[in-house]
Amino acid sequence: MTVTQAHPRTDTAPAPRPRRRLVLEPYLYLLPHALLFFLFTVYPIGYGLYISVHRWDLLNPVKAFVGSEFYRNLFTPGTPQADFFWHTLWNTTFFTIVSVPLLLAAALGLALLLHRPIFGRAFFRAVFFMPGILTVSVMGILWRWMFDNQIGLVNAARDVLLNAQPIPWLSTEGLAWVPIVVGTVWWTLGFNMTLYLAALGNVPLSLYEAASLDGATPWQSFRFITLPLLAPVTLFVFVTTALASFQLFGQSLVITGGGPSRSTQSVIQYITEEGFSNSQYSSATAMGFAFGLIMLIFTAGQFSIMARDVKGN
Amino acid sequence: MSAPLSRLILLSAAVSLATLSNPASAQAYSGPKVTLTFLHGFTGADRPVMEGLIKKYNDTHPNVQVRGQAQPWGTTWQQLPTLVASGKAPDVVVINEDQITGFVARGAVSPLTPAELKAAGINKTNFFGPLFATADYKNQAYGVPISSVAYVMFYNKDLMKKAGLDPSKPPRTRAEFLKAALACTVDKSGKKAGEAGFDPKNLDTWGVSLYNNWVGSRAAYAAILQNGGQLVDKDQNAAFNSPQAVSAVQFLVDLVQKQHVARPNSTEEAELAAFSQGKVCMFPSGQWYLDRFETQKMNFGVTFFPRVGGSVKDAAWGGSSHLTLPKQPSGYDANKRKAALDFMAWISQPAQNLTWTSTGSLPTQGAVAQNPAFEKTSISGIFDRLGSVYATSGYPWVGQVMGPFDQAWEAAYLGKKTVSQALSDGVKESNKQIEQARKNFQ
Repeated sequence: MTVTQAHPRTDTAPAPRPRRRLVLEPYLYLLPHALLFFLFTVYPIGYGLYISVHRWDLLNPVKAFVGSEFYRNLFTPGTPQADFFWHTLWNTTFFTIVSVPLLLAAALGLALLLHRPIFGRAFFRAVFFMPGILTVSVMGILWRWMFDNQIGLVNAARDVLLNAQPIPWLSTEGLAWVPIVVGTVWWTLGFNMTLYLAALGNVPLSLYEAASLDGATPWQSFRFITLPLLAPVTLFVFVTTALASFQLFGQSLVITGGGPSRSTQSVIQYITEEGFSNSQYSSATAMGFAFGLIMLIFTAGQFSIMARDVKGN
Repeated sequence: MSAPLSRLILLSAAVSLATLSNPASAQAYSGPKVTLTFLHGFTGADRPVMEGLIKKYNDTHPNVQVRGQAQPWGTTWQQLPTLVASGKAPDVVVINEDQITGFVARGAVSPLTPAELKAAGINKTNFFGPLFATADYKNQAYGVPISSVAYVMFYNKDLMKKAGLDPSKPPRTRAEFLKAALACTVDKSGKKAGEAGFDPKNLDTWGVSLYNNWVGSRAAYAAILQNGGQLVDKDQNAAFNSPQAVSAVQFLVDLVQKQHVARPNSTEEAELAAFSQGKVCMFPSGQWYLDRFETQKMNFGVTFFPRVGGSVKDAAWGGSSHLTLPKQPSGYDANKRKAALDFMAWISQPAQNLTWTSTGSLPTQGAVAQNPAFEKTSISGIFDRLGSVYATSGYPWVGQVMGPFDQAWEAAYLGKKTVSQALSDGVKESNKQIEQARKNFQ
């Protein structure tokens, strides 16, 4: 590391006495951001905590303190919150477990195909990226129609090609995930693919040349050169995709409405229902904090993996 | 009939109605000049119609200036508590049927006393009874209806004729309905429902559209009311598993599972497409599809949802919008309240309501429904029973009741649970939620 002229290192000279007058200065530089941070992050969190331990309704003059009641509801068997919060949290986790590997593998596969100088490469890159610019409602309605129980394109194709009876995708537990997962992959694939394309451009060609001189098969080149060199990008894509998948809301809301029998309802959709359909603001806030805490632990785990990875390199 | 033309006819009829029948409210507001803020959610094609009405009121009432503000309904539901709590609520707010009791019970809306209504010339007996009562709570009025929609039954006249039915006499009772539905159901090899060798899995045409979402669930709601049941009991707890409710919903589910006159596992979109393509005789749904079928130039009719659930009374689901006066701080100008009531009275009068029906709203009162302008419209097919449209209101936890109810319908219709199991599970879940919600009102 080079030492800049402005801050010459004077190891021999005695350290200058700290000038107390200027101690305010760094904080003044931080002030604009600090103001926004306190106003839009710290204050809402504090107010949210207050709401979650009171029976809170703006119209109710008495906002009774209830302590941890709304948090305990999550662990008291028989309450709707204990049933549905964990159920919908599992739904969201299931969606993440299924969709993240697909989004990683499919994006990498497409990137490998479109990295090569094939004819119409730019066109295909654009085509695969394009669904990402649609809003979730457009994407949702599209896939709901594709997988409609009666008139969907998928059932029509099965009828024509296989002469098979229509499958009620949208109203069968389990199968209802298919349009949601397929739609999400189709919708968000392009962004991950672009990241992989950029990373592939950085892999030195000399490595492949050396490998081919040593007689490596294409698979070996991929396995021992491409994949390890893409590892940092893969980790980044994994972290961002997993976090985005946990935020599942619009896709299942539009495609299945969370049904049948809440089997595709995401945890955020349930929290929204509790807050804005049932007007249970405090309970919804408490569940929001519980979900936020789980996300925080999850993210901390990912960060520690990331840190280890950086150290390892 | 194209939309602009029908609007023109209605407008001219409104003018004649206004000049001919001068309503009883002669006591227009005569105090000092006031300005009123008026918040409503008519943000679509209905917005210019509402703005036209406001302008007309301002032009003819020099000492009241109404300032209309249109914003999406959902935004209003979220903002209204804050506005009321901070004493900055608009003078007049339009609230919909599924929200109104909640806001009333939470104290966001002020009651309209009989004396006030009388002084303003608002006579609740002029309106359709259940429609006006939608905004009632504990025997007090809290709103005046200005807009209304209903769950109706569309029917394909050509297909009914082909099945040997008289399209000028759509079914009214359960027996007539079942007869029509059976006559319309034919499989792809030409066999009718009930015939030997009839294949319910390969239907060419069928009797009635049932489907899994909340709109589909409104058929079950109507059937329960028709059989004398209710969604909630007198203590406002969920009660849609009563014997009347189970028997009414069972009839609907049997249409799928026993009679095979409705498709299983269907969606609203699939049934809508099937009706548009002339594959299904009867399509119960919201009246909002009217425009679509008219544009398509289908040969269809509209009738009131027949009494399939039972023979106690006619009933169908409806949605509505009500003019309300939010709770104001203690120093609120009494003249503003008087002027607001005057505005409410004026805009709910027959002439203005007739103008408003050009947006696709149903008449809110008999005097408007009798207007000759409707004679040739297909929607008038339900006007003989407009007094039997019932909204989901009257209890402050509509969300807690309708959510589990819609899920119960879905489970029963899809055959995942028996009808009584589905309804009982729904009631159980609903009552757990109500028990929690009730603590907010103590």
